[in-house]
Amino acid sequence: MAALMRSRLPSLLPSLPLSQNFSTTNSLQHIIKLTRLRVVDNSMLGNQSVVAGKPPRCIHVYNKTGVGRVGDKVLVAIMGQKKRAFIVGVKQRARPNKPRFDSNNIVLVEDNGAPTGTRIRVPVPSDMRAMEGDVTKILALATKFA
Amino acid sequence: MLRFGIRNRPRRLSKAMGRKEDGHGTGPPGRLERMTIIVNSLVRHERIEGSHQYMDEARGYTERLLQIAAQGDKNHEAMDVANYWLKDKDLIHKLFKVLVPRYENYTTCATRMWTLPVEYPGGKNKTSILELKGNPWPPVVPNPRNNSKSLINVLLHNAKKDYRSASKDGTPV
Amino acid sequence: MADKLATLGFRSFLSHQFLKRSVAAVSCRYANTLSNETVEKHRTSTLAHDKEQKEEKKISAPAPPGLKHVHPEFLPNPTFYRRDRIKEKLERQDMYRRRAVCPIPEFYVGSIMAVTLADPYASGKTNRFVGICIQRASYGLRANFTLRNVVDNQGLEIRYDMYSPLIQKVEVLRLEKRLDDELFYLRDAPAEFSTVPFNLEAVSHPPGAPVPVNTTKVKLGPRPWHERWERRNLRGVQDLGLPEKFYEKAKKVAKPWEEYDLMLKYRTSINPQETDEVMDEVAEGFREIERKRRREKLEKS
Repeated sequence: MAALMRSRLPSLLPSLPLSQNFSTTNSLQHIIKLTRLRVVDNSMLGNQSVVAGKPPRCIHVYNKTGVGRVGDKVLVAIMGQKKRAFIVGVKQRARPNKPRFDSNNIVLVEDNGAPTGTRIRVPVPSDMRAMEGDVTKILALATKFA
Repeated sequence: MLRFGIRNRPRRLSKAMGRKEDGHGTGPPGRLERMTIIVNSLVRHERIEGSHQYMDEARGYTERLLQIAAQGDKNHEAMDVANYWLKDKDLIHKLFKVLVPRYENYTTCATRMWTLPVEYPGGKNKTSILELKGNPWPPVVPNPRNNSKSLINVLLHNAKKDYRSASKDGTPV
Repeated sequence: MADKLATLGFRSFLSHQFLKRSVAAVSCRYANTLSNETVEKHRTSTLAHDKEQKEEKKISAPAPPGLKHVHPEFLPNPTFYRRDRIKEKLERQDMYRRRAVCPIPEFYVGSIMAVTLADPYASGKTNRFVGICIQRASYGLRANFTLRNVVDNQGLEIRYDMYSPLIQKVEVLRLEKRLDDELFYLRDAPAEFSTVPFNLEAVSHPPGAPVPVNTTKVKLGPRPWHERWERRNLRGVQDLGLPEKFYEKAKKVAKPWEEYDLMLKYRTSINPQETDEVMDEVAEGFREIERKRRREKLEKS
């Protein structure tokens, strides 16, 4: 495909470099490796990263697709440490009746599954309450559901 | 709503889109520029001849122009559109004062198209005539001759009449 | 099937106009591209005549003017290959049925709305969200709108399907319009422009009065933005304050001639005559809902 485009496009727009010939769409806003995230609980580590202006980065998504969705567990690099966290809100296009957030939100958890903070400061998707497993532990910290 | 079948997609008209020397630009704006020239000459001469695909494309634009102009010359949109499509400004007067009243009570479309015959061996391109209905020119197809008074037709007519009346009576002919 | 369609009022619809148009829609593409073999016999004739359609008179009572702006989702999708006139009609029947159960009030992009949704996991089994409507999209039963709000400094957007059976109540708290058709630029604006309190009291709109236009000019935050707003001819934002080269580029990629491409407009929109036909039917559908509601009221009392 790329070879085809290369052979065709320069004849149409000879003056432009190749990189400008591709039409681009809006980003899919997926959570993948190296995506910057936002900590929304009141943990010390999260606050430090906000103050330092160094948001955590996703370095692994614990599912088979490699794209983080609401309720998935991720491994993040935060302030020079490796921490596990749950995704509690995503920027990508949502299905009807489900909230779409302006930021990719996570809640940090310890290795044993217990949440690091004591409170979540933003609304959490309502359908998370249907989930099972370790996620249920962080739902107790949520104050609002959207 | 247009009162004749249109193609779902516009023709690309590659010739119109690539000839700067013709005086109009390239690409889609050049195509539209070419269309204004055809529509302009159709409104002026009321019957024009040309390549079938150009005529067919211009037909839709002419019909839409007439439909929008039917809102009257007081309408801002109608005047704006007429101003763009008719480069000769005297035609704007003709559009609103002559053509719009002419097609006011029409239930069919305002234009008519004829495909000219192809001579052997013919080429790829067809030639067509595009005309506004009710134009002052003689008709493209002449009226068929009235042959009802010719001797053979009169004889046949009477023979038919005799046969019918006889079969009604039951008498063998 | 034919009987069922007849009960829905399809008989007249099917008989003339519908058949003619649907056939035209199928064969139109190839109408002018016949093969040589097919037209060989016509070559012997001197002249060929094109086919014309006669316009037919309307029968039903006219709809109030401006109804198409109030309920744009009843209009069919103008994309020709998505059109299916029987499906459109059946969908409209379903939409009246849904509206009879859950009334959807008049609203526009820019109105402040509240939606109550069935939520099996919530404490009261319902979930209420308040926000400003930033988009109205799609056609027929799939019509939807998007509400935006900022809660605890967190921007939230929820897209609701208008005819979803999960929706229990739709309230319009402030009926107003904005200067633009879509307000996605609120994502790039400060939170104050999209913050709506959840306990906002509804202000009733006097029936028949013109819908007020909110002429707020939004001040966008600094770049990067979700889109290149300088290319969108937005009326509801303040001066973007970009360097000159951005506007030059926007001018370069603009397509000002499309405004006068009459056939492009015709092909990408539902023409006025068909709009009127659909809206007359919609007006009748709404009258039927009203009659049904009155009948039920009488039976109860």
